[in-house]
Amino acid sequence: MSGPTRTPSGEETVPFTFDGTTYHARPGDTLAAALLANGVGLVGRSFKYHRPRGIMTAGIEEPNALVTVGKGGRAEPNTRATDLFVYPGMVAMSQNRWPSLSFDVASIFGLAAPALGAGFYYKTFFGPAKHWMRYEGFIRRAAGLGNAPTEPDPDNFSQRAGFCDVLVVGSGPAGLKAALEAAEAGKRVMLVEQDSAPGGSLLRDPDPAIDPAAMVDRIRALGGEVLLRTTASGYWDHNFLTLTQRLAEPGEVPPHGFAQRLWHLRAGRVILATGLIERPVPFANNDHPGVMLSQAVRSYLRRWGVLPGKRVVIATNNDDAYLTAQALVEAGADVVALLDARASGPAAPAGVTVYHDARPSSVTGRKHALRKVTAVIGGSEQSFDVDLIAVSGGFVPVSHLHMQAGGKLNWSEEAQAFVPGETPQACETIGAALAPPPAPAVAPAGKAKKSFVDFQNDVSLADIDLAWQEGYRSVEHLKRYTTLGMATDQGKTSNMVALSRLAEKQGVSVPQAGLTTFRPPFTPVTMGLLAGAGARNAGAHVRRIPLHALHEAHDPIWQPLGYWFRPRAYPVDGETLAEASLREARTVRTVAGLSDVSTLGKFEVSGPDAAALLELVCATTVGKLAVGRGRYTFMLREDGMVQDDGTVWRLAEDRYLLTSSTGGADRMAHFISYVRNSLRPDLKCSVVNVQEHYAGIALAGPKARGILAALIGAEPPRHMGYAPGVLAGVPVHVLAASYSGERAFEIHVEATHADKVWQAIEAATRAEGGAPYGLEAMELLRIEKGHVVVGGEVDGRSTPHDLGLGGMLNKVGGFIGAAGLTRPALSGPNRNNLVGLVSLDGPIPEGGMLIQRAGQSPQGHVTAAARRILEGVPIALALLQGGHRRHGEELIVTSPTRGEKARVRVTAPHFYDPAGERYRD
Amino acid sequence: MTEATSIIALPAAPLHALEIWSNPQCVATRVHKALRFALPPMNRSAANASITLMRFEPTVWLAEGDVSVLADTLGDDGALTAIGGGIVRFRIAGPGWRELLLEGGVFDTSAAAFPVGATAATVIDHVGVRLFAESEDACIAYVPSSYAQSLHHFWDEALPLLGA
Amino acid sequence: MYQITCPHCGPRAQTEFTYERTTDSIVDPAAEPQTAMQALYTRANPMGLDDEIWRHTYGCRAWMVLTRHRVTHEIHAVKAIGPEALP
Repeated sequence: MSGPTRTPSGEETVPFTFDGTTYHARPGDTLAAALLANGVGLVGRSFKYHRPRGIMTAGIEEPNALVTVGKGGRAEPNTRATDLFVYPGMVAMSQNRWPSLSFDVASIFGLAAPALGAGFYYKTFFGPAKHWMRYEGFIRRAAGLGNAPTEPDPDNFSQRAGFCDVLVVGSGPAGLKAALEAAEAGKRVMLVEQDSAPGGSLLRDPDPAIDPAAMVDRIRALGGEVLLRTTASGYWDHNFLTLTQRLAEPGEVPPHGFAQRLWHLRAGRVILATGLIERPVPFANNDHPGVMLSQAVRSYLRRWGVLPGKRVVIATNNDDAYLTAQALVEAGADVVALLDARASGPAAPAGVTVYHDARPSSVTGRKHALRKVTAVIGGSEQSFDVDLIAVSGGFVPVSHLHMQAGGKLNWSEEAQAFVPGETPQACETIGAALAPPPAPAVAPAGKAKKSFVDFQNDVSLADIDLAWQEGYRSVEHLKRYTTLGMATDQGKTSNMVALSRLAEKQGVSVPQAGLTTFRPPFTPVTMGLLAGAGARNAGAHVRRIPLHALHEAHDPIWQPLGYWFRPRAYPVDGETLAEASLREARTVRTVAGLSDVSTLGKFEVSGPDAAALLELVCATTVGKLAVGRGRYTFMLREDGMVQDDGTVWRLAEDRYLLTSSTGGADRMAHFISYVRNSLRPDLKCSVVNVQEHYAGIALAGPKARGILAALIGAEPPRHMGYAPGVLAGVPVHVLAASYSGERAFEIHVEATHADKVWQAIEAATRAEGGAPYGLEAMELLRIEKGHVVVGGEVDGRSTPHDLGLGGMLNKVGGFIGAAGLTRPALSGPNRNNLVGLVSLDGPIPEGGMLIQRAGQSPQGHVTAAARRILEGVPIALALLQGGHRRHGEELIVTSPTRGEKARVRVTAPHFYDPAGERYRD
Repeated sequence: MTEATSIIALPAAPLHALEIWSNPQCVATRVHKALRFALPPMNRSAANASITLMRFEPTVWLAEGDVSVLADTLGDDGALTAIGGGIVRFRIAGPGWRELLLEGGVFDTSAAAFPVGATAATVIDHVGVRLFAESEDACIAYVPSSYAQSLHHFWDEALPLLGA
Repeated sequence: MYQITCPHCGPRAQTEFTYERTTDSIVDPAAEPQTAMQALYTRANPMGLDDEIWRHTYGCRAWMVLTRHRVTHEIHAVKAIGPEALP
């Protein structure tokens, strides 16, 4: 029996399954350790070629052993078996194999290998398109990782702010010492460790003088925070870092409902004690199960008591692997040979034969382990029958965070490695990452074709050579052409090996060949974690209107409007939306209706300079308003385009109320603040956003005045008048404004008392034969009246003149946008003007294009389509080139996407009561 | 955890924005005289039995309680505007309030950065809120009414995370 | 994410702030059309320090000018603007 094993100790108490087979792990095992302990060496299939892959590392850099863990919506694909701690009941599955891991059709027939070399994708684009169509289906089946779950993730994700004086990343000997020193100096310290235990390299190479657990206790006792299973995954501006913390293992049911936490951390100083990653060695079939990094072998031996192989060859270019030989000997393994690429090395453990000037050239394997290693020793080949090869090609400092912080790297010729140098942020690297052990460059001895460099993306030395041959010289081009370093491991084990090859081809030194950019995240991050609580409801809180519960009792159709939800219609007796809205609109035209307009933007402006401010903000005159009067108004951007509209009311001598559109309310609050505080800080006035303070109820229809008079016990103000009143015992503002075209009022009331007022108005309205109406009816009413809506006709490209509002502009000027409006192009004859359309046949397609005859470029578009509420004729509002002078013209509205067409006549945009007779009592 | 942290929506209270646009020193003196306490500085609060003033903005204080005494002190130098209808007050009480307010937040709620009596306007889970550190054991959060139910739910869900 | 030292609130996260415009693109409402459009559409856009107007929108709502390096994102100075700061 060969391959990985572990002698049972009785602690194998944690049951889990891998590909449906139940195994047992010890507490603290990674999935990788537990699989090796159970003799499982074959763990996955490679991305492109479906080559059998095993466990190469013992850490987050693992490129091969990727699994899907968990079930249903909780499943997490592409999780590294080396970064996954087994819990009871864990369900793990291998990936990218069919029908099974050990019998994979794509690999057995060698389907992929010849076709998918470097630049494959690019090359297919040069052929006929139909070839690509054929390749695509094949690639989609053949190449791949795990499948994304199709069900929603049942877990929550926490996002939390964090603050500290000193952040230490990595709990190896250097990190522990730095964190403890900072804590002892009274600093607010945070120490993060991606592993489940502190210690870093001490877990592999224990030092009796250092007790990680005791140091962690001490740091915590001093008030420091030590987070395990937490990865510093991004280093951003101004010492801001994102940390990803596992609150439960992947696929595990989290104890508090939260699977992970994203820390938004601001640190005074950052200490990076991120250590080293070992470099693999390129030789033929170096991707087979049974090829393992030397330090990983030590980790499995010492941390988990797993023997990854019984007959072992070690291949190295440095002294560190001699420690692995020692550990293997101590564990009872047979170290058949230690191949040292150098001419000399340190003393080897007793019984281990060291070969100098020796490099592995190829291996052959069986299912879970190796069969044979062939090496070039001096000038001749020699083979060894072994089940494991432990390899070390040198070490790469983990400089990802340093580089994300904007740091520089220095080249160490001795270690053939980039070492962190200067950084522009309050950040330093300490420990092993600063001092990688000497490890000279070694020329690969095996065939390039199957000497893998990027294991996850199946890139071999031959692919790099091919890219070079085809003219790809820069490292950035090499990366894109071969996809080297672009897999989920971001090239942690491959970049330096590849870079050496490229430098060799270029005939330059490695630093001259250059490096690709280091980008966050350091290790893959679950998408749900970035969304946080916003993973539901499309990432935003729903804003509730004050009367939400009252409307809910009517079971309306709800309409999302920005972040708000508003009643769209109140169907009765099984009405459809169209039926209900038409009934509601007819009720308004013939009796009266009430509607919730609470979401309107509302600003109270007070002070001696209130009017002066409003005359800057609004493009219409405001200053001449008498107390108790209001008017329609609109606001422009500095370039002269209309940005919003509303009404302005003079409530008292020095107090005004300005309303604006729902969708533009936040934008308007910002704009007014800019004008008041930034442009005109000298003005004596106060602007307060009262959008949510007041609930608004619109009451409209021929009977509205009578209904309201009875409710407030007084004659309501005439059209565009304002009066305070008391309704249902509650103080209210009554604004006689109309959006519907009927005699109408807006009743604004402190939101906390709005329910009483709504109920009183609703009862009185129903008693007269009226009813509540929703947004859809409101839309029918305003289209018929020809009122514009922000986001519809007011599309950010319309001037007041385009919308037929030019006559209302403040003649004196002085408002924001006045200068912009003088640009000659804005008074050109062919601008899109607001017009009405009356159908000469069927319904007018919303969003349709306006043309004179088929095949012509569009001359405008329909912004809103409806029907005459009582007469039923299809009508629409549209923006049409030169529309103001084209009334009477016949046009075609066409919507190719809907396959609809209508003949229309251009009219003025006022279909209903153009003279405003209905506003008069 | 020893005792639980809780989130309670408080009954509606009279809230006003008090803005001063001119002669700040004179107004401050008049207000001081009327209230028997000085206008609090930026990000601080001050109170008597009937009114609490919290300064969240350079020129604006949030006044909670009876503002009748203030009206006469402002003259043409400032104004009061009612805003209570649009704000829901939550009392977050218990040992975990500082930690809870870090959830979805960007503001350092530690005692050093946010001592008792301090006020701060910030963002919690994308919602603009105003905070008042009422005591070592409680914080009042002033939340826009439209977001109140949703944010309350957000905090309730996060409660089991405290200390985790 | 930047850390911006608000003149009124101290160091706060960029999340609480909104960018408005550079100071050289302020349009004076009283300006002649030519000057106004010049300010609106023609900016220096230096590869280095620039003065930018920001607002602590989700904090104290106050306005300020940041002198920020457009390459390194270093913030060299923050100056309050707006109505006279009260005691």
